[in-house]
Amino acid sequence: MKFAGTHEWIEVDQEVGTVGVSEHAQEELGDIVYVELPELGREVKAGEEAAVLESTKAAADIYTPVSGVIVEVNEKLNDVSELVNESPEQAGWLFRVRLTQPEEMNVLMSPEEYQKVMRE
Amino acid sequence: MKTILYDKHRVLGAKMVEFFGWEMPIQYKGIIPEHHAVREKVGLFDVSHMGRILIFGPDAECFLDYLSTNKISGKKPFTATYTVLTNSEGGCVDDVIIYKIDNTHFFTVVNAGNREKDLEHFLKEAKNFDVVVQDRYDDDGILAIQGPKAIPLMTEIFPEASQLKLMRFVPVVYEGTEIILSGTGYTGAGGFEIYAPQQVIDTLWDRILEVGQRYGIEPVGLGARDTLRLEMGYALYGHEIDTNIAPTESVSAWTVRWKKGEFIGRSVLEQLEKNSHKRSEYGIVLVDKGIAREGYKVYKDGKNIGYITSGTFSPSLNKSIAIILVQGELQEGEIVDVQIRKNLCCAQVVPLPFYKIDKE
Repeated sequence: MKFAGTHEWIEVDQEVGTVGVSEHAQEELGDIVYVELPELGREVKAGEEAAVLESTKAAADIYTPVSGVIVEVNEKLNDVSELVNESPEQAGWLFRVRLTQPEEMNVLMSPEEYQKVMRE
Repeated sequence: MKTILYDKHRVLGAKMVEFFGWEMPIQYKGIIPEHHAVREKVGLFDVSHMGRILIFGPDAECFLDYLSTNKISGKKPFTATYTVLTNSEGGCVDDVIIYKIDNTHFFTVVNAGNREKDLEHFLKEAKNFDVVVQDRYDDDGILAIQGPKAIPLMTEIFPEASQLKLMRFVPVVYEGTEIILSGTGYTGAGGFEIYAPQQVIDTLWDRILEVGQRYGIEPVGLGARDTLRLEMGYALYGHEIDTNIAPTESVSAWTVRWKKGEFIGRSVLEQLEKNSHKRSEYGIVLVDKGIAREGYKVYKDGKNIGYITSGTFSPSLNKSIAIILVQGELQEGEIVDVQIRKNLCCAQVVPLPFYKIDKE
């Protein structure tokens, strides 16, 4: 699992990366009440806004850490948006992207590096 | 003006106060016990002084999206969205919750003091859209049931309550009448609001108090309503937001969705973003003894940078908390001074909400 400075995580399996937000991010946001997920088939560039998480006190843009094509979204979140709070790094994943530039993964942080940055 | 529950408040021994032309209960047993009742058990509020407006027609969704800072278009049915309504000068007309029944049917709940103004605003803007605006001011009442016991209590009356989530609503039937039950509130304590014809509100008030007895329910007045919302850092119109405060300068700035289309006052707000005179709101906690109250001046390095928009003694935190509107930016942890009568008292900038709910 790798992390972006904007609090997204990505886990790649056979060129498809699953993206979500970190534990830290869900805590900062508060109770998520609405999730806007990207359209399937949409082409995205690393750093582009791909989803929006709306809570009772914030509306946060979620950026894709990598370039590629959106191949799947977590439909469950439409009915159970609180899954993002309960399990942000597993069941509360947001979308899956087929990587077109796998080398982009190299600039992302390891879990240890991310934890270190968070503590600062 | 009186709500349908006026006599009941008097019978319960409420201290009444005049609030924007309404005779409302400020407290029953006392602000502090009522505040704690909501945080620990469950409280019942009569908020029928607020007003409900129906908006329907082919353009209902884009009409509301145009009037709002937040994204209204494309939301799912039975969702509730908190937003600020703006004017063409980039000021705030009101903050409301917009409820979507379906693409062509919505309703919104407006603040008591803004009933006339908001309705006028909606009717004026509606001229450019294929939409009908209809108020339910004289027909409906509103109740709020807030606290950790709200769900089990309300599930006894409405089984749907156990499944109802935050910022979602559902029509339910009570004694043959369709009413609305929503997972919304102004206290951060969790719970519901009910929108119903006045007669039903009258019956439900009694029923909820009756069923609520074994949950420790208390009727709660406007006094505790204010301490509860302030602990959550929620805006109160006329304080944190107003016609002369931009939504982007307030605690509700997060509702402004720049990526959406055109909305009233957008260009003024865009200009304001580049302006060094743009102000910001922050939460502060008093370090020195005292109570930081609304209107008190705030200083930084001897310079007056702004004032307090709302301040109180927080019953849950046992501290003096306040929201300030100031020139320039402040960092979390930064110290500012508040002028409390003759003294300059130290206060520290803290993130909002002041009160954090413990999740089990």
